[in-house]
Amino acid sequence: MSGQHIHAEPTNFFRKHVFSVDHKVIAKQFLWFGLIWLGIGGVMAMMIRWQLANPGEPVPVIGSMLFPRTNGVLDPATYNTLFTMHGTIMIFLGLTPLMIGAIGNWSIPLMIGARDMIFPLLNCLSFWAMFLGGAVGFISLFVPLGATEAGWTGYPTLSTTINGVGSGETLWAIAVFLIGASSIMGGINYMTTVIRLRAPGMTWQRLPLTVWGIFLTSVLNVLFVPVIGSAMLLLIMDRVFGTTFFIPASIMQGAGGGDPILYQHLFWIFGHPEVYILILPAWGIIGDLLSFFSRKPAFGYRAQVGAMVAVTLLSAVVYGHHMFTTGLSAMLGESFMLLTMIISVPAEILFFNWLHTLWKGNLRLTTPMLFSMGVIFVFGLGGLTGIYLATIGTDIFLHDTYFVVGHFHLTMAASALFATFAGIYFWFPKMFAREMNEFLGKTHFWFTVIPLVTVFCLMFVMGYAGMPRRYYDHTSAEYLRSLQHLNKYATHAAFLLGAAQLVFVYNFIRSRWWGKPASQNPWEVGTLDWTMETPVPHYNFKEIPEVFTGPHEFSNPDIPDGKDWISMTEKLKA
Amino acid sequence: MNVSSAATSTLSKEEVRTRVDVTLGMIFFIGSWTMAFGTLFLSFLVLRQRVGVWPPEGIVLPSFPLATVATLILVASSLGLHRAVRAWDAKGGGGEREQASSAQRDWAVGVGLGFAFAVLQALLWADLLAAGRFPSSGLYESLFYGLTWVHAAHVVIGLLALLWAWIGLSSGRYGPNRLSTVSNIVIFWHFVDVVWIVLYLGFFVF
Ligand SMILES: [Cu+2]
Repeated sequence: MSGQHIHAEPTNFFRKHVFSVDHKVIAKQFLWFGLIWLGIGGVMAMMIRWQLANPGEPVPVIGSMLFPRTNGVLDPATYNTLFTMHGTIMIFLGLTPLMIGAIGNWSIPLMIGARDMIFPLLNCLSFWAMFLGGAVGFISLFVPLGATEAGWTGYPTLSTTINGVGSGETLWAIAVFLIGASSIMGGINYMTTVIRLRAPGMTWQRLPLTVWGIFLTSVLNVLFVPVIGSAMLLLIMDRVFGTTFFIPASIMQGAGGGDPILYQHLFWIFGHPEVYILILPAWGIIGDLLSFFSRKPAFGYRAQVGAMVAVTLLSAVVYGHHMFTTGLSAMLGESFMLLTMIISVPAEILFFNWLHTLWKGNLRLTTPMLFSMGVIFVFGLGGLTGIYLATIGTDIFLHDTYFVVGHFHLTMAASALFATFAGIYFWFPKMFAREMNEFLGKTHFWFTVIPLVTVFCLMFVMGYAGMPRRYYDHTSAEYLRSLQHLNKYATHAAFLLGAAQLVFVYNFIRSRWWGKPASQNPWEVGTLDWTMETPVPHYNFKEIPEVFTGPHEFSNPDIPDGKDWISMTEKLKA
Repeated sequence: MNVSSAATSTLSKEEVRTRVDVTLGMIFFIGSWTMAFGTLFLSFLVLRQRVGVWPPEGIVLPSFPLATVATLILVASSLGLHRAVRAWDAKGGGGEREQASSAQRDWAVGVGLGFAFAVLQALLWADLLAAGRFPSSGLYESLFYGLTWVHAAHVVIGLLALLWAWIGLSSGRYGPNRLSTVSNIVIFWHFVDVVWIVLYLGFFVF
């Protein structure tokens, strides 16, 4: 470990807080950045829900301020922009920085016993590349003719100059490209750090599941984000330089055009692994947290790791299930269907292990534990409904309906969001040396989980009844008018969900500056991050620790002096 | 240039560690970039499949002799840089003075040929533009300009990195640790080289 130098702490403000190379500072930068974007994306979701329940009526409170031209009414173009940017923001600028950027940066070095990431400068670049991507995305909201309207998937020919006029779509592609570059830099850094900087005794089989999850996500980031990066380059060329990669010959008046379906392939080669990029860290985090707060070892640790590795591998070969309606050959379609179904095997392994970790445990229902259990619940709902979308016969009916919207919000959005909240509540005392308020935390949880499940389950019903996604006004279709009351319920639930997030914001801000000072190990767990003092000193470990036990040795009879937990740096009784 | 002292010293444990660290990072980076260029080649193959006759009839193609010369030059450039790094890496042994001076020569030739490649690439484009073929002229042009643009961006980055390494090398600031930076830049250059060979095979041979 002699390779890890201790540099003096920077005293200059810019070096210390802005262009810092310290993983702890970068983690907090990602955290604030992600939370702000989560808020922006959330407000967009509220406006979308308003339009769905009250088509064509002016958005209350903020409407006249944001859309003075229409007196607060969302016109169809603005509505398209909102759902497109909502998706893009939540995935790339909300969940990615929070879960991978913030929790990844915070937990990896502290949990494996390293002084910092292996390439600190690359880490700094990774944040600023994402910041730049966010800035470009933000600017695109204000250009003439507005931001992109092509959906977060940016399919041609909606996204080529033929339909996507103005520079919004181009800026969107540039933003996605920059954010992708950030993810790749982070991924390379995380992978190399976990491989090279584990403390002595921190074997792969003692690695906390959080680190496993983020490590596997990094593998997917490094391999599949470049695919969308290249697709974005081709899209930008089509828009700016007049090339015709994705513009079909029919539109080009026979001048030898390209293939819009090619874009869909490229997008989903990345897009499906992206789902697992967001869910693997969530699985890892709750794998650890469920054990910590059940005061029991993580049941089937090896099976959990094996299942996560299996999912990582399988995620690369299932993307075709997004394209059943594009005229995929029958053999190819059936292969993708089968491979997709196979993913449910490792997913079930994880489920049973989580449930068995809880079984007969000495449960401590803290806020991070509640959110972890919430992940099991919402991911279960989302996963089960995924089976209907993986099956070609039912998918052709459900494709592009609200059933899909409900499904992916529960699996990749809600699960990842809950795990992120669990992680924030869990690491907050170490990060900011103050405690978050438990009562407000639990309030936040219950007022999040119940409305959230209501909203998305209503979407299943409406989708099954044939309500298509991305329509401006469903009441314009005769057969959808009978669903309007469900849309109203969903919108009320969504507003409650949105209001509950204000509880979190209040709790977060108040605890950050005025919270009760946190003790060194409030949760009584043994991983290396909690064995060090609070606040964490510059360069973490003066002496690189040596690890003797696994991360989840709870209630082991060989633990000395009557505790139910043991630090990874302590030895069990012989 | 004062790198011969680095060549004679045996790497300490810590230096070996750093070397492995950065090389591992570079391998992951190359893996990632292989996927990026793999995506472009995949698009190339798919779109080529869409056209009945390839290359399409009645269009002006980029100059085959010019591209061939460019390919040979880029391979030679990679070779020169490879020899230079290998010589600097070799530990101990007699006659390191001659070795060092020949390594410097190889390095200079390698970087020089890299710039020559960039000039030839520019000539390839100029030729096509002069013949009235623009990126918007058709699918062949889309692919040719698009893919060579992305490649050329990496050539520019590679050349800048090589120059930066050269400045470091000639100031004599580089110990064995920094030499791994130089060797990584050269690995990146080899990658740029391989990508070009695949482009060359796709556009000019098959
Ligand atoms: Cu998928």
